[in-house]
Amino acid sequence: MKRLAVLLTVFFSGTACAQFNLDRFNVNKLLDTARNVAKATSDIGEPEEIQIGNDLAARLLGAARLVPDEGMQRYVNLVGRWLASQTERPDLPWRFGVLDAPQVNAFAVPGGTVFITRGLLERLHSESELAGVLAHEISHVLRKHHLKAIQKGAQTALAGQALSEVVKTSRPEVRDKLIGLGTETYARGLDKSDEYEADRLGIVIAARAGYDAYGLPAVLQTLAAMNAQDSALAMMFKTHPAPGDRLAALAEKMQPTLDAYAAQPQLAERFLAELKKAR
Amino acid sequence: MTPRMILVAALALAPLLASAEPASVVRATELKKEPASDAAKVADLAENAKVDALERNGGWVRVKTAAGAEGWVKLLTLRYLPTAGGPMRAGDSGIAQALNVARTGTSGTQVTTGVRGLDEEQITHAQPNPAELKKLQGYAETKQASGSFAESGKLKAHAVEYPK
Repeated sequence: MKRLAVLLTVFFSGTACAQFNLDRFNVNKLLDTARNVAKATSDIGEPEEIQIGNDLAARLLGAARLVPDEGMQRYVNLVGRWLASQTERPDLPWRFGVLDAPQVNAFAVPGGTVFITRGLLERLHSESELAGVLAHEISHVLRKHHLKAIQKGAQTALAGQALSEVVKTSRPEVRDKLIGLGTETYARGLDKSDEYEADRLGIVIAARAGYDAYGLPAVLQTLAAMNAQDSALAMMFKTHPAPGDRLAALAEKMQPTLDAYAAQPQLAERFLAELKKAR
Repeated sequence: MTPRMILVAALALAPLLASAEPASVVRATELKKEPASDAAKVADLAENAKVDALERNGGWVRVKTAAGAEGWVKLLTLRYLPTAGGPMRAGDSGIAQALNVARTGTSGTQVTTGVRGLDEEQITHAQPNPAELKKLQGYAETKQASGSFAESGKLKAHAVEYPK
């Protein structure tokens, strides 16, 4: 019935109708289109999600390389992997990378990749703050926020082709289009509601992992204290709600959880020692 | 002073640099003697009162008022204030600046002020870097290794529900 409704929609839309009248051969194409529209709204599989993620991660790594420091990279991976293990998707190929860029930012990539910039890492004071940032990004992966944004863009840009089909295609121009849509979500940012959700879930994940739950709020205070004119902040401030608004939202919704897990370890010494060692 | 010494000094100073941030309180609140709701009151703070934030202990921050009183307020009743001063370039503040200076020195290359890498323009026009992707995959850690790492930090996992 659902498929019939989609088919009828396509059938009665102007261009589809004209095509149908002009060329009987196009009936099959019409059916395909209808099927694809229906499919595009369903979730794509995990292998495709991971594939899109790899393509996007390679792109972001084209904008900034990893800090060439294995000790630092492994330390961030240990914190991130421990956090990810406390979630509903513990077995994704989780990877964490410190990007060699002075900007203050962090990124989540579909399929389990999380990036933090050197600029943000250097402004943190403890492992629980790092955990707060990584847990926020992990939440974007869990809730497929970027994937959904890409899917939304794909439905119009790729003329209703199912994203799962597009991912499998070997046609480079189609593939490029898709990755272009993906990189756009990083430049433009997600819906604000996605950011607020990632803040709430991130606090829960950090608490589950045994960290002081106030790590993320403390980072938001650090961001609030930075000079808003600092160009290192430009993109992060453009793509996220203001730190003060995020803190207010957490005060409203998360105070009980925050307070219940406020006394857990902050691990400031381990964090500073690892950062020092890494240099 | 060698770049390395600057670096070590900067890292040693990190907690200090973070420890006196100007802030204001978002609503009227009590300044507490200890970081606890049932602790004795030191003073009343009016909405928008300016304080210096000194250190954090869980959900509490030790502050000093303009009148010189010291005590604790809840982190979420505070808003750290942007540092005063003119426009800044990326990495012009705090420890990041010291590190950038140091890096410039050790690399031996002229690093000008421009922020490169991760602005909108760069991301939109980036070409894939498969070699770096491979490195990223090589740095990945296992669930087991992260478990031992957590244990050595005395981190204990437990169940916490997501908010509704």
